[in-house]
Amino acid sequence: MGITVTIQTNSTGTSEPQLKVVEPLLKVENVWKLYHAGKVEVPALRGVNLDVLPGEAVAVMGPSGCGKSSLLYVIGGLATASRGKVLVDGNDLVTMSDAERTKLRRHKIGFVFQRFNLLPALTAKGNIAIAQYIHGDGFDPHRFDVVTKMLGLDGRLNHRPSEMSGGEQQRVAIARAIINEPKILLADEPTGNLDTKNSEIVLEMLRRLNKDLGQTIVMITHNPEATTYFDRVVHMRDGVIVDGIPAD
Amino acid sequence: MMGQFVFRNLFHRPVRTLIGVMAVAVEVMLVITIVGLTSGMLQETAKRIEGIGADIMVQPSSASPMFMFSGAPMPVKVADKIRELKYVEYVTPALLQFNTSGGVETIWGIDPETFRQVSNGFVFQEGRDMEGPDDMLVDDWQAKAKHVKVGDTYPLLNHDWKVVGIVEHGKAGRIFVPIATLQALVGARDKATIFLVRCTRPDHTADAMDEIKDLLPTNKVQPVKEYMSMMNSSNIPALQTFINAMIALAVCIGLLVIFLSMYTTVLERTRDIGVLKSLGASKLLIVRALLAETTLLAILGIFAGIGLSYAVRAGFLKLFPTLSILITPGWMVRAGLIAIVGALVGASYPAWTATRKDAIEALAYD
Repeated sequence: MGITVTIQTNSTGTSEPQLKVVEPLLKVENVWKLYHAGKVEVPALRGVNLDVLPGEAVAVMGPSGCGKSSLLYVIGGLATASRGKVLVDGNDLVTMSDAERTKLRRHKIGFVFQRFNLLPALTAKGNIAIAQYIHGDGFDPHRFDVVTKMLGLDGRLNHRPSEMSGGEQQRVAIARAIINEPKILLADEPTGNLDTKNSEIVLEMLRRLNKDLGQTIVMITHNPEATTYFDRVVHMRDGVIVDGIPAD
Repeated sequence: MMGQFVFRNLFHRPVRTLIGVMAVAVEVMLVITIVGLTSGMLQETAKRIEGIGADIMVQPSSASPMFMFSGAPMPVKVADKIRELKYVEYVTPALLQFNTSGGVETIWGIDPETFRQVSNGFVFQEGRDMEGPDDMLVDDWQAKAKHVKVGDTYPLLNHDWKVVGIVEHGKAGRIFVPIATLQALVGARDKATIFLVRCTRPDHTADAMDEIKDLLPTNKVQPVKEYMSMMNSSNIPALQTFINAMIALAVCIGLLVIFLSMYTTVLERTRDIGVLKSLGASKLLIVRALLAETTLLAILGIFAGIGLSYAVRAGFLKLFPTLSILITPGWMVRAGLIAIVGALVGASYPAWTATRKDAIEALAYD
């Protein structure tokens, strides 16, 4: 449960601070994730706790193999937690069926991957539109225009991924992830395959999404500079979150 | 959007798509051509029998509709007894010999005089009727296929025949020789395969049949007009089985190629499937996309297969002018349905494996 301070004007015209309780959009409680290598159980997450408030941008940092990606996949419902609770907008992913998690992903979660993961046969427009199609509401030209203009893609929409730079591909991937206005955007090392200039562009876009549109973001990164764009940085080591400190 | 996705996926790997389309095309072509060849040959044979002009056929009781396979179990003398009947005007015996050396041919051993009576004679394009024991007539299609002309020697059944006339096609067989010579060559002296009967009037056919049945109660007596309807694969022993086996073989070829094609497609698109899952695509949607792609591929293959069937028919007819391949809309539709069902069956397992892919492993797939 999060607490925010808001300033409200009362009936006499004076402003006074009020405490308001805000439910976390994402709540991870004592989550374990065990992988099986033959008969051996390998724990990737060992009792992770994490709350993310609506509109918050959280960066998760840590060395390779510390469980960052496992945490992201568990939060996104692509993997199931072995133990614990994962609440996304009040829905416990651990108790959901595969079909229910798929539906939740469709409506409430957007993914951005390190390797862009665009569909190679489709153009940029097709890659974004297919997310709208899967979402089920059909093609929304207004939303499409807003998103593609915001991400500077209007001139590249008829190009295929193979005809675009890495930065452009990642912007298409971001457009695809946010086209359906997900509650939470999960980014797995989104700048991992980009040069410095494109990394900065992508991070700036993520920051704008968060600041201007209030998009809740959880991003995994190795890049220390990337964390400067985010509200909060969480460090992971050996499958657990070791702290949670403000970036500034 | 789904249509665009399926369409673009199909043409993203043009060579793979082309191979899949060609596999379905070959499947469709095999079905259409095999059925067309058998039904074409049967119908063409039936038309030639009808073209003789006889009203009734008399055969042994166990005779096959394919005369050439019936042997020669009836004594020629029977013709004289039939001829004496009230409603019978003319009778001619024929001995049919199936020959496979140097091609597939049915040799008609006929008695020129009585055959002429029953059939009103041949229409000669060149030459004259048979007179000597080694004389042979061929029809124009056979002459074209074998490049023979009047005066040529035509070796058949270890015997040198002399081509004395070329007749218009459409009457009985394609090769005619004197019945007596053929009887001697095949060891069927005084025997016949079939008797062709011409009634005093066509409307006397039923009466004539009754008379013949009284005379030859164990023989098969049937009007020639009925013969057309009998000449289909279901009346020819083992032919339907052969056709079914060929269709099954064609379906297996198509099914296996589609299976392999879609299986490699699913492997190649492992990451794409992971992406679709991350976007919240249901298993049903993934299956639908793959099966829709397969259906589109099959439809392209069906059209290519129909085109290929006509091309193969043209090629066959050029090489073997005596063949008849009947391509019918009914069998085009059936071959198409067989191809679609086969393709969908072939794609089902790959589609099922696609839905079972672990999204995380799929996203990490290279």
